[in-house]
Amino acid sequence: MTRLASLRRRLGARIGAKPAAVLAIAILAIVLPFGLDAFWLTTATFVLIAAIGALGLNVLTGYTGQISLGHAFFLAVGAYTAAVLGGTARLTAAIWLPAAGVVAALCGALVGPTALRLRGLYLAIVTIGLVFIGQHIWFNVAAISGGPGGRSFPPVTFGAFDFSPGQQLTLGGLVIDHNGLYYYLALIILAAAMLFIWNLVRGRPGRAMQAVRDREIAAAIMGVNLARTKMSAFVVSSFLAGVSGALYASYLSFATPGQWSLLLSVQYVAAIIVGGIGTVWGALLGSMVIFALPSVLQSLIPQSSSGGLPIDDISSIAYGLLIIVFFVLEPRGVVGLGARVASLWSRVAMRGGKGGGLSEETQPLERREATWAR
Amino acid sequence: MTASAAPMLEVRDLTLRFGSVTAFADLSFDVARGELFAVIGPNGAGKTSLFNVLSRAYVPTAGSVRFDGADLLRLRISALAGAGVARTFQNLGLFGELTALENVLIGRHHLMRSGTLRSGLWLGYARREERRHRAAAMEALEFTGIGHHAHAPTGTLPFGIQKRVEIARALAMEPKLMLLDEPVAGMSVSEREEITALVRRLHRERDLTLLLVEHDMGMVMRIAQRVLVLDFGRVIAIGTPAEVQRDERVIRAYLGEELEGDLAEVRR
Ligand SMILES: Nc1ncnc2c1ncn2[C@@H]1O[C@H](COP(=O)(O)OP(=O)(O)OP(=O)(O)O)[C@@H](O)[C@H]1O
Ligand SMILES: [Mg+2]
Repeated sequence: MTRLASLRRRLGARIGAKPAAVLAIAILAIVLPFGLDAFWLTTATFVLIAAIGALGLNVLTGYTGQISLGHAFFLAVGAYTAAVLGGTARLTAAIWLPAAGVVAALCGALVGPTALRLRGLYLAIVTIGLVFIGQHIWFNVAAISGGPGGRSFPPVTFGAFDFSPGQQLTLGGLVIDHNGLYYYLALIILAAAMLFIWNLVRGRPGRAMQAVRDREIAAAIMGVNLARTKMSAFVVSSFLAGVSGALYASYLSFATPGQWSLLLSVQYVAAIIVGGIGTVWGALLGSMVIFALPSVLQSLIPQSSSGGLPIDDISSIAYGLLIIVFFVLEPRGVVGLGARVASLWSRVAMRGGKGGGLSEETQPLERREATWAR
Repeated sequence: MTASAAPMLEVRDLTLRFGSVTAFADLSFDVARGELFAVIGPNGAGKTSLFNVLSRAYVPTAGSVRFDGADLLRLRISALAGAGVARTFQNLGLFGELTALENVLIGRHHLMRSGTLRSGLWLGYARREERRHRAAAMEALEFTGIGHHAHAPTGTLPFGIQKRVEIARALAMEPKLMLLDEPVAGMSVSEREEITALVRRLHRERDLTLLLVEHDMGMVMRIAQRVLVLDFGRVIAIGTPAEVQRDERVIRAYLGEELEGDLAEVRR
């Protein structure tokens, strides 16, 4: 116990527990592709891409309290923007990737005002409508979506530099293949997005979002413009969804309209519930659980012993169970579980700290810090 | 008449009805600049409803309100803070998941400018602005004596501390007029004394006009300069604490209060 306490104190004193953890995660994320085979690297890449979109949903639903089941629509808008600009018009990803975010954000700004009049379940239902309208468009406007049969999506290209299958990058003896390239691109975009949202929610606009979530009228009386705040949340959320959708479709290289269905929205909602509503890390943690689940099940259960149930169905059942379990047992998601472990850890360390000869004066202070740490 | 000679608040024939329920009717009174003005009355008299109209949460059925010489009822609710009106809530209006400091910072939202891009990219402007306003918010928390609770999520704080966070937040808004709805309700005797002293200090040191709703007669009679008495949504008396205490209608309204109070409990 004493050793644990002194370890924690030493770590905490030098760099602070949080930055140390972030650094460790960053290093792990960078070296991860070298330890994974193609199957798991592909899974990890899909997780990172999905986490970008989940982060967007967490801004809208988690931080601003606006329940949306329309995320699939904005993902699709991003994907088809990429298809039209990158595929049909053959522009570089340096254009279609940001454009996917911007076009989705514009759509978010267009539907925002309607959503501003609605709250809670009503908003959820109207945003479902958005998914259905999207489905109608994607199935019928073949020029954009390729019709019911689907269409191919452009690989990421920056000038002559190409992320297509078979391509690779050699960096000082290290070979990064097609999967690795997508992995690192998604990692960079996700890290930038997390940093942006982290700053946002600790600054003026993000505080306003959380105030609107907790008490709308009180927020307005404090000077928060409700319409503008919800609108920003919609725009930021759909921007990230658009970028995520474009990357997803590009990595898949082919998608049908049926893929942008309500189930996709539900998966994103599940991801933020499981990961942690209204947290930055929750989006990534939840995406790890939800979007890696089919791969995990596939590797755990040999098809012969699954009782004839396809993996997708087993995944769907598992999503449902996870949502129920987290709602009932830990509404703060995996992040909440982490906080519990952390507070247990600090309690253990504190108890050790007493024995470790902390002076009487410093004790209450440390204790106070620990209770604030959440 | 220049703006500074006009009363801070001019309420004329103000009426608020919810269908057949009349919260209050035909209220007319002025609050002078720098005055500590109390509104009292039995449960359900319409005091909180009056605050809700003055803070633009409710739209009155009839009447007018001028604040600092301008028409208050033409302000959008979110423009109120900028115009200089702050309030606290009888049943708390805090954002439970935010820390005390963040709650107080929301009070300074209208004084800040950083938007989504500037904050998200954490540009120099946003950083400097945040630092400046954090210091001001801290100062407000210190003023109300709860600086050491700055980083606690407000939802986890005791009721008495939460009430102080509300006062700190209203103070941090840098208002001209502050509406305090029952700041000592549900508090112990010693807490009441502290809050009474705090309200006095707010009034003396911060150049504020204060509108105070409170059931604690001891507090009201000690610190208010004038008192408005409401009963069933009507003004039954207005004057100095001494005048009001002698008023027969006031005495009658308050003799019946015990019964009224019981009824109100049942209603809740
Ligand atoms: N939103 C509303 N809808 C309908 N009736 C309301 C509403 N708000 C207040 N009332 C009614 O208006 C009347 C005045 O209520 P109000 O809350 O203003 O009283 P109060 O003087 O603040 O009482 P207390 O001392 O108990 O806080 C009550 O009869 C109440 O039921
Ligand atoms: Mg009241």
